[in-house]
This record gives sequence, structure tokens and C-alpha cells, in this order.
Amino acid sequence: MVLGLAVGQRHRGDRMRDWARLVFFLLCLANMVLLGLALARAARPGWAAYQRSYHRLEAQYEPDAAAKAAVEGTPVAIAQIILPGLQRVDRCTTCHQGVENPAMKGAPEPFSYHPGISRHPPSRFGCTICHGGQGLATDLAAAHGRVPHWPQPLLPSEYVRASCGQCHTKGDVPGVPELAEGRHLFDSHGCRGCHRLRGVGGTIGPDLSREGATRRDPAWLERHFLDPRAVSPNSVMPNFHFTPGQAKELTYYMLSLTGEEMSSYYTSESVIPSVPYGRELFARKDCIACHSIGGVGGKSGPDLEGVTRRHSARWLDEHFVNPKLVSPGSTMPAYDLTADERTALIRFMAVATGKDAEALLAGGAKSLTPEEAAVEAGARAFVHYGCVGCHGQGAAGGVANPNSQGGQVPSLIHVADDYKKSEVMAIILDGKTPAMANPSKPAPPLTMPSWKGTVNEEDLHNIVEYLWSLKPRGESSRW
Amino acid sequence: MLKSILRSIFRGDPPSTRKGRSELVFYNFWLHIHPAKVRKEHLRLRHTGYLGFVSFFLLLILGVTGLALMFYYHPYPARAYQDMKDLQFVVFLGPFLRNMHRWAGQLLVVAVFLHLCRVFYAGAYKEPRQFNWVVGVLLLFLVLTLSFTGYLLPWDQKAFWAITVGTNIVASAPLVGPVVKVLLLGGHTLGTQALLRFYVLHVAVLPGLAAALVMVHLWRIRKDGGLAPSPFQPEESSPPARERPIPSSPEKTYGLMGIVTGKPAFEVLVPEEEEAVFSYPYAFLREGIAFLATSAAVMALALLYNAPLSEVADPSKTPNPAKAPWYFLGIQELVSHSPALSGILLPSLLVLALLLLPYYDGNPSRRPKDRLLALSLFALVVLAYLVLLLIGLYFRGAGWSWVWPWAKGTGGTA
Amino acid sequence: MNRRSFLSLSTASAAALIATAGMGLVGLFRFLLPRVFYEPARRFKAGYPADFPPGQPVFLPLEKVYLFHDPAKGFSAASAVCTHLGCTVQWSERDRQFECPCHGSVFAADGAVLRGPAPRPLRWLEVTLSKDGQLQIDKNRSVSETYHLLVPA
Repeated sequence: MVLGLAVGQRHRGDRMRDWARLVFFLLCLANMVLLGLALARAARPGWAAYQRSYHRLEAQYEPDAAAKAAVEGTPVAIAQIILPGLQRVDRCTTCHQGVENPAMKGAPEPFSYHPGISRHPPSRFGCTICHGGQGLATDLAAAHGRVPHWPQPLLPSEYVRASCGQCHTKGDVPGVPELAEGRHLFDSHGCRGCHRLRGVGGTIGPDLSREGATRRDPAWLERHFLDPRAVSPNSVMPNFHFTPGQAKELTYYMLSLTGEEMSSYYTSESVIPSVPYGRELFARKDCIACHSIGGVGGKSGPDLEGVTRRHSARWLDEHFVNPKLVSPGSTMPAYDLTADERTALIRFMAVATGKDAEALLAGGAKSLTPEEAAVEAGARAFVHYGCVGCHGQGAAGGVANPNSQGGQVPSLIHVADDYKKSEVMAIILDGKTPAMANPSKPAPPLTMPSWKGTVNEEDLHNIVEYLWSLKPRGESSRW
Repeated sequence: MLKSILRSIFRGDPPSTRKGRSELVFYNFWLHIHPAKVRKEHLRLRHTGYLGFVSFFLLLILGVTGLALMFYYHPYPARAYQDMKDLQFVVFLGPFLRNMHRWAGQLLVVAVFLHLCRVFYAGAYKEPRQFNWVVGVLLLFLVLTLSFTGYLLPWDQKAFWAITVGTNIVASAPLVGPVVKVLLLGGHTLGTQALLRFYVLHVAVLPGLAAALVMVHLWRIRKDGGLAPSPFQPEESSPPARERPIPSSPEKTYGLMGIVTGKPAFEVLVPEEEEAVFSYPYAFLREGIAFLATSAAVMALALLYNAPLSEVADPSKTPNPAKAPWYFLGIQELVSHSPALSGILLPSLLVLALLLLPYYDGNPSRRPKDRLLALSLFALVVLAYLVLLLIGLYFRGAGWSWVWPWAKGTGGTA
Repeated sequence: MNRRSFLSLSTASAAALIATAGMGLVGLFRFLLPRVFYEPARRFKAGYPADFPPGQPVFLPLEKVYLFHDPAKGFSAASAVCTHLGCTVQWSERDRQFECPCHGSVFAADGAVLRGPAPRPLRWLEVTLSKDGQLQIDKNRSVSETYHLLVPA
């Protein structure tokens, strides 16, 4: 009777044909088959096959049959690494099961061992922060990010090291010289003059603060550096005639500019306190002005050769923070240094010799008057804000600006002759549109932007001092 | 023992007798909206296309799959997109259920539209079914709103910008537009508050309203005298020869439980024996077929085609062009010409025309040849909207400029 | 269609429907069972043995585990979840016992209940060495209170 309820018993006297029962039955079958297909598909995910292969591989290293069987019988499950500090979830280890297993060195992909990650364990860093790809996915094409609507596919293997620059934003990264070189090229060629980066820079070109997140194609970036108009037809970016090596270094730097929001756990290591960085700091802070190393250098403070044998690292660290407290009677000022910077300096001093001191002195480190210091600071600011990008190296000009009077962005060497200091400051703060040579032709593409709010008072003053110092000596002032 | 248990649950006689079949229908909570007997004519596919049933079953499928999906969805911008990825890659049957939900939703919009066309064509909105038509049109708007609110939930680029366009179209309505937009968005921009409001509307408020209206809609079918007869019959001002009216008399009452006295509202027409069959099994079997066919179609689509998902929503990057969901593209096309006039005024007039149709349509006849004007006007309006929709879908490219669909990249929506 | 073939059709439809419903229920159950957990992992690596010198036990706050290093016997890990109602117990180095701040349960250094409403001793968790040489703690596997992992220096 219950079955009859399901389909409908016939009754004597029924007058309708019952093809409907057949259709009903066929549809019941169809639904069953379709649902069965859906369940079958859900129960056989691709990653399960990979995991089972891995277990078979692992089982080979087990000594006896029982142990082998135990390993092969390990249940398969999605492996997930939750990274709240990096705002992501990575499931790569679902298939890449061997990354932390040294026995898997040389195993076939995707099971091979990943050497060199003891400082960056997957449980704290995941995989996609360095390699790119789609960590949320669990099938091959999607996980490697090579699908539509995922803007960050896997980085080609030779560019993966560029990702180090996302956290290690200052100083150099051991093993990745391209990052520091790229950063140096960016600064020295004045790219900031046209491209804003982290709030500082011009607006003629696109903002590059997230360039590494949106443009993940290293080939495009390299072609762009070698010839901007080859990949970006209407670009006004000049061709800087970079060598392929320089283009690669700049590409590394670009790829590292992802603008990722990371918790302080990751950003606190922005500089790796290495010896070269320590040397750079030692030069920048001009320590050689007061201290000598191996007898070479300043005489106001003690000689620093072998200082780490005389004092513990902790003592030296505290001394940097407050010299007068740790060493009563000292005239050393308290420099504003982060913990990593102090560590870097200490590491440098541990190996510094008289030769380093000579190199530092030859590099032009000497005691400066306040005026000279302002000019030096101005020269650095002139590069930092990217002024060289338009006004040329040493403000000598030479950058083309079609249809402007003179056809070029003006050289600033003689600016002291033509303007008062206050006028130059006003131009920097307010900007200036160049006059057109031929009014009927299109306006010149390069204009002096307004730097108000970006350049601070001190830098403004120093830049003007620097510009005033550019007038070749011997020429008399016309004012 | 078993028999007494069954009897306590089912109460009526087993449906092997005529009495039993009647009792199966009236004593059953789930089934008692049906009449005990239906006209054979009404069971034919060509009478209604079962479109009402299909719409109802699609709503049920949407409710069940939607409920399941709710277990894995957080209506918070930073999490919603990740949940969509989780459903796609991690959850057992996740892709299948999500696809079912998406395709059932699209099919529902099509089904209710076809149902509306069928009812119009059959003239089944005329006396005494005018109010049921109004309820039906309100249900159409509820379905469109349900689809629109659900569209935002994946929080991808397509969702974000489609809803941006949609709420701006709403905002261009005179007087009330801006206020409605602020109510919908919970603010002035599309963000956290908007997602929560759309979610609450989509899973609670609108389904509740839809359920209530569906109940009224089905109840009214019975109260208005059942399904409208075919429009191809002669006029029913005189009852059809094959029906005998039960003569009314002072002593006879047809009220509920004999409590209500008086004459019935409509003359009760009882179809002759050959004209009608028991609902059980004939009607229920065919309803079962409609349900199984609908679910099979939805499952097949879910197995074959994945619901789309574009990049995560980025308020700072507008795709060009940004298109509303496909059923609103006709309006977006109109709005692109002149926001207030053609974008709001015209559609509003159309909406009113649709809603109040049975009240200004004085023609009592349901036969097509007596209604040529009405049928042509309707066909014209439908065609015009379809053309606008197709233009918006295939012929508009970046900046809403005209493109030929065979040229590259126009991007329809789904 | 005669009664016999009709009946089998009827039965077959019913059977298919019941099978579909059954599959649906199984599918729904598996759907609701999560395959990934948005929680700290139950089996995790605590770090290299060298990072945990002998002496005071180290508390791992995220996973709520105390990691002990006995110079003679080796490593052991105790769950810091009180067996009474789940509060986190605190190790007292001075008294060498675990104390629960919620209802005053006290556990000895080997996890045995000394005092208080706790019904069972603290769970000791399996500590193994992972393939890359780190200490791996598995909260899914309980061990006896005498279990230790001896790591060669």
C-alpha cells in the first residue's frame, strides 16, 4: 500500500492512459543517476590521488611490510595552513606533501623536498607569499593560478627570489643581490620623479606601490625596461638604455612591490642585519668621523677594531641606545637606530679592519660643516624624490620634453643666477607648467608637479642649498 | 499493529476506493490545497505547461540548496569571496550545490516570466482571478529582487559592480530613489553594511515574503474556482454543456462545515464524470513528473556548467563595461539613453501597467480572436524589452559603446 | 500494461526515489562535515629540540600545551586543558604542579589529580620527531604519563 502511494495504484474504472507512470519512473532513474554522478565526482578529488601516490612513495622507506601498510593506509585529507598575519590560507601542501621531508630530496614532483626554508617554515609563511599562485585551490590548474580571474599565477622559478623583497624592504638580502641593485637603480635614475612609490613621487607615470601585485609577468617588465614604447605604445617614459642585467634587477625590485598588508611579525624583519648593511650604516652615520678602525680614522672616540672581543653584543647594543648612560662621560650622541640596524653595525664591527676604514675615508666621508651637510642632504633628497628623472643626473638636464621651450626639461645648474631661493621653493611647492614652443601642437608631456605635502620643510631647504651649490666655481654671481 | 499506527498517521481510508482517494487529499496537510478531483483538460501539458509548478519547485530547490550553502558562508567582505573558493575547492558537494543554486535561480527568472506570459495569453487574469494576477506580479518582483540580492553575495568584481550599477539605477528614481539607495546599502557606498543587508534580505526577509505570497497565490487558485478553462472554448457565460450546475435552493447550503449559511458566491459547477479524474493518482503523478524533471534539469546543468566567479571585488578598479545582472540589462540600456525619463519613468509605467492589467482590461472574453489588440501590445512590449536586453548583453562594450558581438570582448553576464 | 509489469514499475520508481533520498542524506551529511578546520592544527610542529633547553616547561599558548624537557628522560607534552570544564591550567614552578584558576583543581607534575573537581588526570600527548627534525606534537593521540621522547644530542 505504501508503494502504491508512491506511484499510484490503478483502480477499476480509471480512464487515463498511464504513459505517465513510465515517464515518472524514467525521471526517478535520471535523478538517481545525476545525484550519483555528483556524489561520485565529489568523492574522488584530484588531490586524493596525489596523496595516495605520496604515501606509496613514503612507504618505500619503511623497514617492513606492516609499517609499509600502515603508511599507505594513512587517510587522505586536505592540508591547510592558516596565515592570519598574511591574510591568506594555503593548501599547497595537500599535494606538495614532501616539502618538509628531507628524505624526499630528488623525488618526482610534486613530492620533492624544499631545501633552505628552515628560517621560513611553511607553518608560518605558507607557500604563496613567495611563489604566487592560488593557495585556496585544490586542483592543479587553479592552484597554480593559471586560470582566468586569478591575477597572480605562479612566478617563474628564476624570479621567485624577488619575493624576498616584500618583507626585507631595506638593506640587502643575502643571495639576492638583484633586489638591492634594483632598488639602487630605481633611486639613482630618479624613477620617483614620475612614479609615486609609497606616497612619495610624481604623478606622471602610474603609482608603483602595488606594481608587484598587479603586474606579475616578469617578461613584460623586462621588455618594458629595455624599451618602454615596445610594450606601452603611448608611454612618455624615456628609454634609459638599461642593460639586460639591469632590466632584470629592476624587474626583481618591481616584483617585490606588492603592497601586501602583513602583520608586524613579518614586517619587523624588514632589514636583515648583515655585515654589508652594517658597513652601509657605518658610512651613512659617518662613524669614521670620530672613531678609527685599526688606527685609521677619527681620533675623538676609541678605536673599534676587535671591539666585539672586548664588549658583549648586549653591552654594545645598549651603548648605541644610550651611550652616556652606559659609558659615563662619553660625548657620543644617541643615534636613532632600530634593533636590526644596531645588530648590523655590531656585526660589521666584529669583522671591520683598517682596510674598511681606508675605504670609508676614500668614499668621501669627512667632517662637514652644517652648510656642507645641508648640500649633501639636498643632493640625497634630489635623488630620493626622483628629481633626477626629469632634470637629469646632477641636475644637468638632457631629458627630452617635446614642444616645450628649449625642447628639454631645463638644467638646474644655473638656477642660482636666474631665480631667488624663495622663487625656487615656490616652484617646487606649487609646480609649474612649461611654456609651449608651438601653441598649435600638443602640450609638453612632462610638467613640474606640485610637491606640497610630499617634500618636507627640511628637505626643501636642503634641495635649494644643493641647487645653489651647483653653480660652477669661478663664475661670478649675476645677482 | 502496523495498521493502527498507519491509521493514526493517515486517518483516511487507503486510496484504493473513491472515498479513500478523496480522503487522501482532504485529510493530508501537505496535499489539501488540491481539489479531490481535477479536470482532465487541466492536466494536459499544453494547458499550463506546468510552469506554475516548475516555478514553485525551483523555489523549493533554491530554498534547500540555499540553506545548505548558508553553513559555509560569512556575509563579510573579507571572508565572502574566500567562502566561495572554499565551496569550490574544499567542501564536499560544494561546487554541485552552488551550481544548483545559481542555475535554479536563473531558471526561476525565466520560468516565472514564461508563466506570466502563459497566464496572459490564456486570459486567466480576468474575472474572478484579477487579484491573483496582482499577487503573481508581486511575486515576479520578489523573484527579481531575490535574484538581485543574491547576486552580490559572492563579492567578486562582477557582483560588486553589477550591484553598484543596479543601486544607482534605483537611485535615479525621482523623490524616493536616493533614500531607497541608502536603505539598501546601509550607507552611501557598497561595503560591509550593504553586504549584510543584502544577505538578510536574501535569506530571511524576501523568502519569507515570497512564501507568504505563494501561499496566498495557491489559495486563491482554489477560491477563484480552480484553473481557468482553456481560452479556445466557446464563451463560458453560459455554462458548458458538459457541466451540470447544482441548483441552489433555500434549504441547501454549501458553506464550510455547515456553519456558514447562505448561497455560495459562485454557482458550483460540477464537471461530468468523464471530464474529471481523481487528483490521486493522476494529478500527483504529473506533479511528481514536473518536480523530477525540474530537479533533473537543475542537476544536469549543475554537473555540466560551473557558476562563474571573477576576481575578488576591488572598489578601486571598475571593469569596463560594468553591467547589471542580465534581467536588468534592458533597463540599463534604457537608462544609458536618459536616466530619468526612459530609465525610470518608462519602466515604472510598464510595471504599473502590468500590475493593474486586470482592472483596466474591460474585455470579458478570453478567446484570442477577441483580444488581438491586447495580445499584440503585450507581444510588442515583451519583444522590445528582449531586444533591449540583447543589446545590453551582446552589443555593448567598453564605455557602453556599440560593439558587434563577433568583434572581440563584449562580455555578457550570467 | 498489465498488473505485473505495472507493479514492478511502481516498485522500481519507489526504489529509485528511496535510493535518491538516501544518497541525498548521505551527501548532506558529508557536506556538513568540514574537510578543513579553521582552527590551530591538532598535529603541529613546536620547533627544533635545541630551542627547548631543559628546565622550566614551555607553554605554547595557541595550542594550549606544556612542553617539558627532562635532561635524563627527554621531551613530553601535557595538554593544558583542565579535565573538569576546559579552562587552561597554569604551571607553578615553585610547587611543581598544575593549578586551574576556574574551580581550583590541582594536578601533580605527572598530571594526576591532587585536588579539586577534576575527574581525570591531564592528558599527555604524543611527541615525535618529524622528518625534518622538529618536535611534533599530536593532540589526537594520548599517551601515558611516563611517555618521553629521547632525542639524541
